Amino acid sequence: MAEATNNQASGAATTGAAPGGAGAPDRPVKVVGIVCNWCSYAGADTAGVGRFKQPANLRLIRVPCTGRIDPLFALKAFEKGADGVLISGCHPGDCHYSEGNYYARRKFELAERMIHHLGIPPERFKWTWVSASEGQRWQKVVTEFVAGVQKLGPREGKAL
Amino acid sequence: MSRQDHIREFAANALTEKRVDYFIGWKQGYNSSEMIPAFVTDPAEADQLVWNPLCHHNLVTFIKRNMPEPADAKVGLCVKGCDSRTLVALLQEGLVDKDRLYVVGVPCDGIVDRRKLEKMFSSEITEIEFPERGKVKVTTRAGETKELDQKDVELIGCAHCRYPNPLYSDNTAGPLEKEPDREETKPDWSALEQYESLSDDVKQALLEKIYATCIRCFACIHVCPVCVCWDKCVNRSRQPELVSQKVGPKENLLFQMVHMFHVAGRCPSCGACDRACPVEIPLGLLHAKMNKEIYDMFGFEPGVKLDEKPVFQVFDLKDQFGD
Repeated sequence: MAEATNNQASGAATTGAAPGGAGAPDRPVKVVGIVCNWCSYAGADTAGVGRFKQPANLRLIRVPCTGRIDPLFALKAFEKGADGVLISGCHPGDCHYSEGNYYARRKFELAERMIHHLGIPPERFKWTWVSASEGQRWQKVVTEFVAGVQKLGPREGKAL
Repeated sequence: MSRQDHIREFAANALTEKRVDYFIGWKQGYNSSEMIPAFVTDPAEADQLVWNPLCHHNLVTFIKRNMPEPADAKVGLCVKGCDSRTLVALLQEGLVDKDRLYVVGVPCDGIVDRRKLEKMFSSEITEIEFPERGKVKVTTRAGETKELDQKDVELIGCAHCRYPNPLYSDNTAGPLEKEPDREETKPDWSALEQYESLSDDVKQALLEKIYATCIRCFACIHVCPVCVCWDKCVNRSRQPELVSQKVGPKENLLFQMVHMFHVAGRCPSCGACDRACPVEIPLGLLHAKMNKEIYDMFGFEPGVKLDEKPVFQVFDLKDQFGD
């Protein structure tokens, strides 16, 4: 992931240490990004090539299509200790496989609501669309999302 | 003629005419306070079938995977209103063969929550009778007898039941129950309000406490009529591993979320998982929340129309989710 390496130094500098609550571990947050190969991953690449500064807290997982993303991937990430989960894919209508994201958005909407039901704040889970050419949008989405997660600090939830 | 007599007659006739190889209904368990599923193969045995507000088992569970042996057997079964929705959900996706089923619909006016009853008495319940409609008479081992209103000891879902009459059946046992005006009244999810009003931290603390008790016995999954993967359950899978073998509130909650997401759009909240849970985790509320959100998103109620597809198997270009 070239773009992550490119921005490592600047990213670490912008995010800094966690403010956190009482007893919260003092570390930068870890955010898992699940992105589709054709749009958002390429969009992240565009952002990297364009040298748009973005936080380095994000670990990207590339999947063939948002239709492949099981909402349980997000829950698994939370179980494994992720502080935030960002899901992104092609804009509706632009899916490489025509209709993967039409199915996906129904699932993600339910996933989002159920994740809130489990007491995980809305700021920690986001799903959106970023196309391959939208390097700047990717930068904006990631920066805003990570800032939101950073504000809440690292998670210490014992239930998922 | 009572509903019970109707069921016995339908079962005996179907067995005599060889319309079915066996008939699944309810019969009395080890005492008169407990009903258990009954498999009847002989018309003469049809007399053991019973119907009363203790028949909570959702018998659709027994046909959810491949029909029981032999593979070409024809099966008769009884369904209540909520059970019929799980059957319709299976039929919508072609998961059971309609031609090999003989369905007796049993209109239902509420099922007694035996756990709720047990908590009301210090001594073991030995007998539960229904002297008249809407009344429950309980006798305990200590000799105590008490008459209660059925409405007070019903399952959570029964109070606001929208489908008391079976939505799919070949025969109906007796007259239909009075149906609520479904156009006028929306589904009721007031049971969720208390939990939903809590703050995120309190929810997390509560879930941790509740799910720490889960022993992952799989009872909820085995008993669920719409949890249908035959070959491999991701909850049991070690490669790939989604749910860790480690036991803790996190893993247990993920385990339940797997079940919940996999039945989304198919689960009509029949409450079978809730009743099967040996440690009394309120699974019914989790599934009710899921259905509430699905209703909010699509106005969809699972398992109602035979020609409908579950919402997560189709899409609409006009969906307004996301930004």
